[in-house]
Amino acid sequence: MSFVSVENLQKNYGSTAVFSDINCEIHKGEFVTLLGPSGCGKSTLLRCIAGLTSVTSGRIFLDGKDLVPVSPQKRGIGMVFQSYALFPNMNVEQNVAFGLRMQKVSADEMKQRVAEVLKLVELNEFAARYPHQMSGGQCQRVALARSLVTRPRLLLLDEPLSALDARIRKHLREQIRAIQQELGLTTIFVTHDQEEALTMSDRIFLMNQGRIVQSGDAETLYTAPVDAFAAGFIGNYNLLEADAASRLMQRPINSRVAIRPEAIQLSLTGSLEGEVRSHSLLGNVIRYRVEARGVELVVDVLNRSASDLHPKGQRVTLHIEASALCEVA
Amino acid sequence: MSRAERRPPGLYHRVVVYLLFLILLAPLLGTFVYSIATSWSATILPDGLTYKWYVALWSDPRFLRAFGQSLLVCVGALALSVVLILPLLFVVHYHFPRLDALMNILILLPFAVPPVVSSVGLLQLYGSGPLAMVGTPWILIGCYFTVALPFMYRAITNNLQAINLVDLMDAAQLLGANTFQAAFLVVLPNLRKGLMIALLLSFSFLFGEFVFANLLVGTRYETLQVYLNNMRNSSGHFNSALVISYFLFVLLLTWAANRLNKDKD
Repeated sequence: MSFVSVENLQKNYGSTAVFSDINCEIHKGEFVTLLGPSGCGKSTLLRCIAGLTSVTSGRIFLDGKDLVPVSPQKRGIGMVFQSYALFPNMNVEQNVAFGLRMQKVSADEMKQRVAEVLKLVELNEFAARYPHQMSGGQCQRVALARSLVTRPRLLLLDEPLSALDARIRKHLREQIRAIQQELGLTTIFVTHDQEEALTMSDRIFLMNQGRIVQSGDAETLYTAPVDAFAAGFIGNYNLLEADAASRLMQRPINSRVAIRPEAIQLSLTGSLEGEVRSHSLLGNVIRYRVEARGVELVVDVLNRSASDLHPKGQRVTLHIEASALCEVA
Repeated sequence: MSRAERRPPGLYHRVVVYLLFLILLAPLLGTFVYSIATSWSATILPDGLTYKWYVALWSDPRFLRAFGQSLLVCVGALALSVVLILPLLFVVHYHFPRLDALMNILILLPFAVPPVVSSVGLLQLYGSGPLAMVGTPWILIGCYFTVALPFMYRAITNNLQAINLVDLMDAAQLLGANTFQAAFLVVLPNLRKGLMIALLLSFSFLFGEFVFANLLVGTRYETLQVYLNNMRNSSGHFNSALVISYFLFVLLLTWAANRLNKDKD
């Protein structure tokens, strides 16, 4: 049986629905990501699970118990916010201890548990600092420690990395994942960043316009998008209409197809001829725009050496495996 | 160009600044010297120095009563505004953020209507009938509350916007705090500075208020400004001591407000 289960959840603001008919199951110890563009309802869904936003209808079960009538204080859920939401009037130790103070935990135990969790996020040296004396990444680790110290049954992360710069983001995402696995903590992570979703999650729920478009592990989502939105949001799929795809592959194709840019190979000989329209260097990858049979394709090639670069206007041949064509709705 | 590279201000600039200071300070200085002079009429310098005017002032029971009554009315009005405005701000910003625009218009009303005009209205409304309180300190407290409202509202709103109220409340509640615990332990301590500044500024302002006090209450509950007005025909030395005492008191408050303001950076 699943640990968290959302059934027919609906949220309206006035007459407009943020989302409707949301169903999902999350297993104990799983790291699940709600991925989607801004405004798709993912953060609202997370806030509904936390109890910070009321639901219009539907039920949310945590460990077999319906959470909807339970106040946020009593749900046993920890949450980390994009803005850190650290209490500016308290130092790190007091921030982390706040939840235990509310639970009236004894002073000795409080001290010990705060020290433990600060060690977990590698901030034990910073106990006496105030939030304004720390960097964004450190603040977010304090916020994580604060949400972990009460030993929540479920951890919610609302875009916790979005306010941080790229290097710290990458490091913190590994740290969060490691801690989550160490504690075996069921976690729901909200992000609009596909890379974060793909690298961190056991399972991803891809959301768009208030519904879950596709769910599955990173591999499934990346290699088999179910529709044009999924193909467009994850990876940089080439989306071709049926007639363009038929012309390109020179065989009848009846539906829209998506082709990953790295699934197309460039060579100097072959049957499918094209011309390089432009190229841009993304670092380890060179991204070409190639026109072949009146279809413009994005092609990613590993940047091995400068001599590999195909200049603009060069004739190249493309090789596309039949299996690289992914039919989408 | 960095500040260090800037040339020291020229003579002309310094002269302008000092002159301005002198012009602003001259009357105050004159008043001060007059307040410590034994008598000063037909000579350039006073005949002698004394602090007897201050002694006379600070031992005049009428002055002490007026001072105390002013304090009471101001503190009462500010206490009322804290009790009413803090929860109001909290509700507006946490539950109905859209009402902030409406509140911004409402709080300007006390400024939009000149005190003389609104006093007439207040006299009509509270002069008789079930809410007759003209001539009592209560009407002043109520009236001063509306005067302090804009200061309090703006200062605390700025403070609230700086602390991301909604996330703090949400975080505190998920950690097990109820709304009151969250408000008292998390939000209120972070509003302390804004609140103190608003209180001190409003206090200095209200302490010097004359129009409402004179029209609504007058001598029936004499405040400091009304007392000052009523004493205008007594000894000039005595009045000067009064003005300087009042000025120093307000200066002290303003200085305290400024100190608090600076700590924020």
